[in-house]
Amino acid sequence: MTAPAQPSDALGRLMRAAQEGDAAAYAELLRAIAPQVRRIVVRQRGFAGIADVEDLVQDVLLSVHAVRATYDSSRPFVPWLLAIVRNRLADGARRYARTARREIHVDESEVTFFEVETNTDTAELGDADAVREAVRALPEGQRQAIELLKLKELSLKEAAEASGTSVGALKVATHRAMATLRRALAPKR
Amino acid sequence: MMNTNDLIQRLSRDLAPVEPLWRPGRRAVAWLFAAAVYVAVLTALLAKAGAPLELAAPRVWLPHLTAIAACLLASWAAFASVIPGYSRLPAAWAAIGALVWITTVVVASRWHSDMATIVAARHEAACVVVIVLGGAPLLVAMAAMLRRGAPFTPGTTAAFAALAVGAITNIGACFWRPHAVDDVTLVWHGGAIIALVLACAFSARLVPTAIGARLSRSP
Repeated sequence: MTAPAQPSDALGRLMRAAQEGDAAAYAELLRAIAPQVRRIVVRQRGFAGIADVEDLVQDVLLSVHAVRATYDSSRPFVPWLLAIVRNRLADGARRYARTARREIHVDESEVTFFEVETNTDTAELGDADAVREAVRALPEGQRQAIELLKLKELSLKEAAEASGTSVGALKVATHRAMATLRRALAPKR
Repeated sequence: MMNTNDLIQRLSRDLAPVEPLWRPGRRAVAWLFAAAVYVAVLTALLAKAGAPLELAAPRVWLPHLTAIAACLLASWAAFASVIPGYSRLPAAWAAIGALVWITTVVVASRWHSDMATIVAARHEAACVVVIVLGGAPLLVAMAAMLRRGAPFTPGTTAAFAALAVGAITNIGACFWRPHAVDDVTLVWHGGAIIALVLACAFSARLVPTAIGARLSRSP
């Protein structure tokens, strides 16, 4: 595994500042270690696609965030980080093996997508401008719910925290928004 | 999938200050101190009158002294195991401490019973209860402390934690009523501690780790 480009004590200082609540130092630290972590992940998981690599990188960053209290500023930063990377890579491999055991891979049948008769109404919703316009026309609460849950792909809990509403209210707003969008984007017959 | 730069912004946006954990050795000493007070109080509450132990005899106090050392080393190893990148030295010391403790107990014990006598010594079941149930609050306290770290190897961490708890509660179990330092005590008390360590090591793998729980709460 490789050492970060910045001197490790600099990274350690940034983490110490982050532990004290310095958001700018923390952002700088995460931006500094992300490319290094990505390189390690690519080297260790050469077969993984871009999306899988980014998943692992983000998993490492989330882990760093979750256990940042365990960093001791009197000790070097890099071994601490590499231990987290190793653990998340191993955990990712275990997760992949478990998923692979449970799931059956089905080859994509391209015919389904090219035959006009097999396509459903949803295929006609491919007009991004129309979708964007329909989302913009939604009432404020419904638009926010759609943006957070469907476009930014946040979890219900995260979206509730971001919007300052309850999970239940978000579910209702999403349901109503989807119904409105379905009506607005339905093909005119 | 979220963009990594967006994730970095979100993680740093509402960053809350965190108190860095004490070093593993310091946490171990703090926990041992609290555990010793708890065991002393528990033993005093449970104590039954009987023939006093010959505390002056090394074969009585030496195993307890090594038990305290084993407890300290095992708790140090447990706390060190939740610090990413920490040296494995504490784990090695914990193994040595446990070995020395077992050796002193084995050497100090009088070996005069056959297996049937040992199995028939049902009164020792009360000591098993003292070790397991009496140790439960200590285990809970240590688990709460460990969850603030990063238990990447929950089975190993839990085994060290249970060893520390078993070592200290065993002292209480030996003092709450008169005990002979013999093979009966060794088998029953030792069996209870081994069962506690194995149960904790295996069950810890089934419990979602702190890091998993915290990842699900992360922004």
